Amino acid sequence: FIGTSLPSHWNLQSGLRSGSGKTTTSPAENYYLARRRTLQVVVSSLLTECGFESAEKAAVESLTEMIQSYISEVGRSAKSYCEHTARSTPTLSDVVVTLIEMGFNVDTLPTYAKRSQRMVITAPPVTNSPVVPKALAAGQKRVHPPYIPSHLPDFPDPHTYIKTPTFREPVSDYQVLREKAASQRRDVERALTRFMAKTGETQSLFKDDITAFPLIAARPSSIPYLNALLPSELELQTLEETDSSEQDDQTDNENAPTGADKENSVLPPGGVVPAVKPSEETVIDNPYLRPVKKPKVRRKK
Amino acid sequence: MNRKKDKGFESPRPYKLTHQVVCINNINFQRKSVIGYVELTIFPTVVNLNRIKLSSKQCRIYRVRVNDLEAPFIYNDPTLEVCHHESKQRNLNYFSSAYTAAVGAVDPDAGNGELCIKVPSELWKQGDEMKVLKVYIEFSLDQPKGGLHFVVPDIEGNMAERGAHVFSFGYQNSTRFWFPCVDSYSELCTWKLEFTVDASMVAVSCGDLVETVYTHDMRKKTFHYVLPIPTAAPNISLAVGPFEILVDPYMHEVTHFCLPQLLPLLKHTMSYLHEIFEFYEEILTCRYPYSCFKTVFVDEAYVQVSSYASMSIFSTNLLHSAMIIDQTPVTRRCLAQALSQQFFGCFISRMSWSDEWVLKGISGYIYGLYLKKTFGVNEYRHWIKEELDKIVEYELKTGGVLLHPAFCGGKEKDNPTPHLHFSIKHPHTLSWEYYKMFQCKAHLVMRLIENRISMEFMLQVFNKLLSLASTASSQKYQSHMWSQMLLSTSGFLKSISNVSGKDIGPLIKQWVDQSGVVKFFGSFAFNRKRNVLELEIRQDYTSSGTQKYVGPIKVTVQELDGSFNHTLQIEENSLKHDIPCHSKSRRNKKKKIPLMNGEEVDMDLSAMDADSPLLWIRIDPDMSILRKVEFEQADFMWQYQLRYERDVVAQEEAISALEKFPTPASRLALTDILEQEQCFYKVRMQACFCLAKIANSMMSTWTGPPAMKSLFTRMFCCKSCPNIVKTNNFINFQSYFLQKTMPVAMALLRDMQNLCPKEVLNFILDLIKYNDNRKNKFSDNYYRAELIDALTNSLTPAINISNEVRTVDNLNSDVRLILEEITRFLNMEKLLPSYRNTITVSCLRAIRMLQKNGHIPSDPSLFKSYAQYGHFVDVRVAALEAVVDYTRVDRSSEELQWLLDMVQNDPSHYVRHKILSMLGKNPPFTKASESSLCNEALVDQLWKLMNSGTSHDWRLRCDAVNFYYTLFGLTRPSCLPLPELGLVLNLKEKKAVLNPTIKPEAGGIGGVGALDLCANGGIHTPISGFPSSLEEEHLPMEPPPNGVAPAPHGLKRKAETPLGSPPEPVQFTAQEEEDIDMDTVHDSQAFIYHHLNMLERPSTPGKEPPLVEQTLLSMPATPLPAFIKEPSASKHGEHHHRHHHHDHKKKKKKHKHKHKHKHKHESKDKDKDKDRERERDRDRDAHAFTSSPASGRSLRSPSLSD
Repeated sequence: FIGTSLPSHWNLQSGLRSGSGKTTTSPAENYYLARRRTLQVVVSSLLTECGFESAEKAAVESLTEMIQSYISEVGRSAKSYCEHTARSTPTLSDVVVTLIEMGFNVDTLPTYAKRSQRMVITAPPVTNSPVVPKALAAGQKRVHPPYIPSHLPDFPDPHTYIKTPTFREPVSDYQVLREKAASQRRDVERALTRFMAKTGETQSLFKDDITAFPLIAARPSSIPYLNALLPSELELQTLEETDSSEQDDQTDNENAPTGADKENSVLPPGGVVPAVKPSEETVIDNPYLRPVKKPKVRRKK
Repeated sequence: MNRKKDKGFESPRPYKLTHQVVCINNINFQRKSVIGYVELTIFPTVVNLNRIKLSSKQCRIYRVRVNDLEAPFIYNDPTLEVCHHESKQRNLNYFSSAYTAAVGAVDPDAGNGELCIKVPSELWKQGDEMKVLKVYIEFSLDQPKGGLHFVVPDIEGNMAERGAHVFSFGYQNSTRFWFPCVDSYSELCTWKLEFTVDASMVAVSCGDLVETVYTHDMRKKTFHYVLPIPTAAPNISLAVGPFEILVDPYMHEVTHFCLPQLLPLLKHTMSYLHEIFEFYEEILTCRYPYSCFKTVFVDEAYVQVSSYASMSIFSTNLLHSAMIIDQTPVTRRCLAQALSQQFFGCFISRMSWSDEWVLKGISGYIYGLYLKKTFGVNEYRHWIKEELDKIVEYELKTGGVLLHPAFCGGKEKDNPTPHLHFSIKHPHTLSWEYYKMFQCKAHLVMRLIENRISMEFMLQVFNKLLSLASTASSQKYQSHMWSQMLLSTSGFLKSISNVSGKDIGPLIKQWVDQSGVVKFFGSFAFNRKRNVLELEIRQDYTSSGTQKYVGPIKVTVQELDGSFNHTLQIEENSLKHDIPCHSKSRRNKKKKIPLMNGEEVDMDLSAMDADSPLLWIRIDPDMSILRKVEFEQADFMWQYQLRYERDVVAQEEAISALEKFPTPASRLALTDILEQEQCFYKVRMQACFCLAKIANSMMSTWTGPPAMKSLFTRMFCCKSCPNIVKTNNFINFQSYFLQKTMPVAMALLRDMQNLCPKEVLNFILDLIKYNDNRKNKFSDNYYRAELIDALTNSLTPAINISNEVRTVDNLNSDVRLILEEITRFLNMEKLLPSYRNTITVSCLRAIRMLQKNGHIPSDPSLFKSYAQYGHFVDVRVAALEAVVDYTRVDRSSEELQWLLDMVQNDPSHYVRHKILSMLGKNPPFTKASESSLCNEALVDQLWKLMNSGTSHDWRLRCDAVNFYYTLFGLTRPSCLPLPELGLVLNLKEKKAVLNPTIKPEAGGIGGVGALDLCANGGIHTPISGFPSSLEEEHLPMEPPPNGVAPAPHGLKRKAETPLGSPPEPVQFTAQEEEDIDMDTVHDSQAFIYHHLNMLERPSTPGKEPPLVEQTLLSMPATPLPAFIKEPSASKHGEHHHRHHHHDHKKKKKKHKHKHKHKHKHESKDKDKDKDRERERDRDRDAHAFTSSPASGRSLRSPSLSD
């Protein structure tokens, strides 16, 4: 219900919107429909007053809509003015200011009200404003704690902030978990290898049924030692998770102290500089780190 | 040899090398070629030095200049083709002697060499003034098959991006394969090394990198190295590649190099090196001798570790990350080995081959000290036991490893090791296995010396040797101090006696001068009345590989009152020894029993003999004799020994003894040991296997769950669910190793049907299923691999119903499960490869086992695909092992052929070596068995392989010899057709090393020999005997200039030999032959052409014979006799006489009978070479090369002698 935030007596628009297009009528819709009908009567009487004998229904509807909008706007603005001055209930002056603001000449109002040909319409049937159905009765509505002034709005309905966790009793049996993890991994592995075997070249252990235990064909690589020696990404990941402190030997060589020799064993791990970079400045005096010299210009005899 | 000459080192060369420049100015990775020059600075030590012999193999030599004068030279390498290729001789005796002779003929230790340079006569005078000669040699190498190894991966990008690299390698002194030098460990000189390489590459070599300079086009740079410490050529090495550089964080003068992308591994692997450095420097109280040290990690390494002066080359496969457990100790050991060899082997070099044991011994010994310090005493003692067991087993099997062969010792010492099928005279004739055992024995003997003189003295000796050497190394050549850097047996022994004052002569005589180990049998009886232990120790010194031991032996007796050492004297005839016991037997006093280490323990004594106070007895507990002990004591004594003796060696001995006592008590003892966490983990691992064996023997009475299952469950499985293993946590290495081993041992269990119990198999399958490594800091690849090994162990032969073909349908359900796992593992490995592909390796082994047991069809194609070049080397070796096994089981000649092709063509030297050694270990057939595979073609092929196909790799050639020996034995293979057998056989059979064809020759060519040869040889054989005459006929025609024929030996020696007659028969023929060629001036274009031609042959022996050779081969047999007749009839008679004469004269004058045989071989061999040369010449003639002045050997060629 979007309308809950609006003052209930100006709640026409939303009521109408919600009611439109529906044949079934709830009490709240009836209420709003009644108001609307009253407005229609008002519009019709005004038209009659102006000399119209008949009007198209659509025109009446449009005018009704307009008047309804107008009144709503007056109400909304008046409420704003009132709240602007730190009050909660609009007063007459609020409405007057609103009307002025909307470009309405207030002074003409008494005269208009007292015009002779005005038609008196019967008051709309007294219907109780519909009880807003309690949305969700979840928990106790909280009252303000003592330090919050009572004029401040109430807490919203509990269902908007209360969380009610719902969960099943977790499987805490270690054995089952391990079992599951194991079979899950095995299934994944099998599916993956089967897929690879299906999509690529395979070798077989049996001549009669080459699909029985498909082996992914062995493919020689150009640099076989790389794959065999370097840890796979998965393993690296595991390592990082389990222990990240071991990675600290990636220190830059710039930090190495000068003139340190062998006896100085508290050195941070030293660095690596590709020898091809002659510009690299290093503190460690190692012949392989020294810049490559430019060739000497050959003297001609 | 050197022990006699205490005065120091005598060079076998008539000159002394002082400095050598090696400049390689072009390395072409695409063509795999190298161009460069060397310049040797030499001081003649004789007047009129007119020829210089250098070592050089497979190098193509463009020009030689001596002091800027063009010098003629000849290149002759008899080892390229050991026996004449047309010879039909196929017995190994013949080959071995010929090979030894060939190696000897170019042995730089004896002053010989393949390259003989004639000093231009203009410079002869200089000799008188002993002026310096500079020998400049331009050379190139094209696709070298030995010496340098190019690794050029076949991918996109330039050479640096592809990770292409090249490095030097070789077995013993093999530097001659990549540049001309004096390839002897005893010829030291200083070095200047220059390497011009692509700008993206790094050249790492020996000595200090002085500077790196760009070439003018800035596309290349030159690395200038200077090695001021006198170093022998074999200790020079080179590695060029796009290496990543890591300066050691602890020692900035140490630099590490690895291939691209491996830097993180290198960092981790090398983080430990400084501790090894510190350790050695501390114990030797000597700084590392070189000013820098470099480690290079290369792919396709020849051996895992090779040490050179100030650098070591390692296999890149030693690198590992922090996650890897099993590789870590292995790699550290390799590093320690490399470093120990830096001190002894590189810095201190050996004087002669017979002194090799000292250096290997010392480096092995200090490496052992490092092991003790780093890995603990248990590990050290375990290692010593392991090494001792290895050497004992090897010696008993093959008959003795001789550390210090004295070649010129007593009479008939020509071959000190007649039990071997190869000669131990030269390192290059040794079988690889023998050499490994040699090293092993050497360090064990060093340890024995330490036992004798104490470690303190031992280290003092080392320190003395090192300080002498380092003093010498800083001196100039002129000080003649450099020989102090050479170590000889006598020098070492002298040092020991100086430092310790002890005489270790008997020890040396026993273990160094003599081969063989001691074999003891011990048993005992307890004499209750006298309270004496009667110990009987017998020896077996008659079977091969054994020797008699006389001397002290320690016996340790653990009694109730404590442990007591007794030293007994083993004498000639005394077998029995009475040892008084200290304690009376007493049963019920509850008292703690003191052990050897002072510990006091409670023991349950109920098992022991009530009458005897003996708990256990150990013979030679400190392993101070190289021996095997078979000791008999009761099972309960072994059990006590296992439980309570604290020495790991004793525990291991007890475990292996308990295998023979399958009783519940043994089971209990083993189980207790398994559970005991203080116990050394390797003992516990061994206990696992013993327990499995005992369980199998006790099958019918075994109670409870399968052995080790409940133990494993308790140690490694979850408390709540005992069938599920805990998630992996390998932080405790001891339990990690145990966790790995137990399933493997359990899988060996068998039930009544001789099958692996279902329970065990399911247990292992569960271990695999529930294996979870996500929370582990370490990789579990070795663990998983061992689980696969466990599956392999569980396999038993399939029940085969009437030879049906193995199909998927009739697969046993258990096997199906196993196969399922293996398939999955193998496939996963493709997606997530494990470190060193351990899992693939295990899977391949498992598949072979499945095939072998008849569960799946036997088929080598899978293995063949994994054996291809391009797979990781461990995988290849595993696959090849399976193919080798298949070849034996299925007797497949196709696979054998495939393997042999790979031996010839595979790019990786290690793999080639490995194939042959695996074939030797698991041969398709042996000399004792008949096989359809044994046929003439195979004999010829293998003969060709060892004769000429492997001339570029000593190790491989020796492997081929070994394999040949395994298949055919020493004599002519039985599968060869008979006709030729008759005469050849009866000639040679007697003396193992004698070359049968020598006899006729020695006795006069014309007569008996010719007859003999004609009788058996048809047309080809005469050649082997005949051309010698043809060659040597040159002698009378062109005598050595002025009769001052320079014997390339020291002046002293020369004095005692008649002028013109060379002192050593070895030199004799070689000299003459070269004289002839010397006398031509090689300056014309034709000459170079000729030499290129000649050199082309050596670099590609056998495989792709140049045109010349082909015609030679196809030459019809008939023209030959005609050709022979002509010269031999006319002039050669005289010559034979001379030859014959000469022989006699020598004998008379020198009375060196011991050289007799040797001489014959050598000359014989020489003859062969000359024979070959001749043919080449002849051939050249046929191809209109007659005009070439280079064909100097030919009679008809114009010889422009001076």
